Amino acid sequence: MTLPIDLKEILRQTVADGYGDLVTRRTGQAVRSGIERILSRLDGETVLIDFGSVRCLDLSCADEIVGRLLRERAQERSFVLLNVDDGHREAIEFVLERNNLAALAKTKSGELQILGTLSEPARRAFAALVRLGEATAEELAQETSLPPESAGELLEELCRLRLVLRAAGRYRAPVR
Amino acid sequence: MTRVIPVPQQFDDRTFDQFARAYSAPSPEEKVLFDAHATQWASPYGLLGLLVAGQAWLDRHKVHPLLTLPEDRDVAHYWARAGFFRYAQEFFELHGKVPKVVASGTSDVLLEVTPVREADDVHAVVDRIQDRAQTIVSHELGLEAQATMGFAMALSEACQNIVEHAGTGGWVAVQTYTWRRTLGRRVAVIAVADAGVGFRRSLEATQAKRFGDRWSDATALEAALIQGVSRFRDPGRGQGLAGIRRYVSRWSGKLSVRSGTARIAIVPPWDDDVPLADGLPDFPGSQVLLIIPAAQPAK
Repeated sequence: MTLPIDLKEILRQTVADGYGDLVTRRTGQAVRSGIERILSRLDGETVLIDFGSVRCLDLSCADEIVGRLLRERAQERSFVLLNVDDGHREAIEFVLERNNLAALAKTKSGELQILGTLSEPARRAFAALVRLGEATAEELAQETSLPPESAGELLEELCRLRLVLRAAGRYRAPVR
Repeated sequence: MTRVIPVPQQFDDRTFDQFARAYSAPSPEEKVLFDAHATQWASPYGLLGLLVAGQAWLDRHKVHPLLTLPEDRDVAHYWARAGFFRYAQEFFELHGKVPKVVASGTSDVLLEVTPVREADDVHAVVDRIQDRAQTIVSHELGLEAQATMGFAMALSEACQNIVEHAGTGGWVAVQTYTWRRTLGRRVAVIAVADAGVGFRRSLEATQAKRFGDRWSDATALEAALIQGVSRFRDPGRGQGLAGIRRYVSRWSGKLSVRSGTARIAIVPPWDDDVPLADGLPDFPGSQVLLIIPAAQPAK
């Protein structure tokens, strides 16, 4: 089950009606608290955070909303950042790299990307998995010409980071 | 006796230390005159520096310093268009006629002198600048769309330094102009300044021990800009200046931060500033300058 969270709506509820920008540490803290309140009420293994109506995202907000959420909650759920544009991406990547974190983003054109810090082999494995839709370690090994053991290790690494989900021996991205 | 502090004829970051030297010179007089009658030009950095000087003088001596306006009417008009007098009259006893101006949408003043005291002010600044920044950064400077988005981010982070660390309010101003002297291109300039506690005092409680005898304005600036430390222990803190640094480096821009007796800079190839200047004349608070130049014309 996925939980969609519209940041503009959270911003409206927690800070003020008129803002379209996610800027300042205080705003980031308020929005993160709003997200955490939603998370505490709902079950679900994947959380979609929608940046579609956000104009400017500064580093302080990116740290509170993405960095801190991942630092503290990524063990519990997969977070997918929706409708991320180049401006959002710049702030989010900066925060993720500084914290040695990775996050899954879906761009406005629908492309799935991993932002932040992740090894190149794991990135290639993820890209291959997205092409396949879902796969076992053996199927991924065939697709990538990797030894099955290596493919399995990469998929497990992606699972640990909650960038990939596993069910009945098959792996898939949290969203299509 | 009234002490006279001359405002440089060309008042920008290059001549700022000359102004700071006159400001910080020991003197028994409490009556002071900031003399801008011969000033021909002032950058946003210069104008904000003048406000900081006025505020700090008033806070310390409880007497309004005098300020003579530029004799040149065009210069005084520009200062008025930049919103300088609106705040200057809080701190200075103004001598000279303040021009009345009507805000113009076509002005090269991207953001007039704007006070920053709390997070809401930062929201307002970012909100006001975004549409015009897009026009200026992409059309006038010829930079990619990504530069516009980073521009608002850098502006926001620079303003937040005041909210989070200064312990008092400050100002921001943004302008574009053609920089003929060293660059021969148009630039967008963000200036942010406050008369607050400065970097050394802001970081003292968490960082001074680590530096021991070396602790100074210069090491505090190095710690903040190069090492990304903050007075807050949260792991996500201290990235604002680092983010601005990355932004200006990416677009061949300049970042300079002055606080107390030191100035640190990320110096692009087109500029000849030094990366770190220590032992400068003492000046209150912190002054941040970002310069983003137009894209290099295709050869």
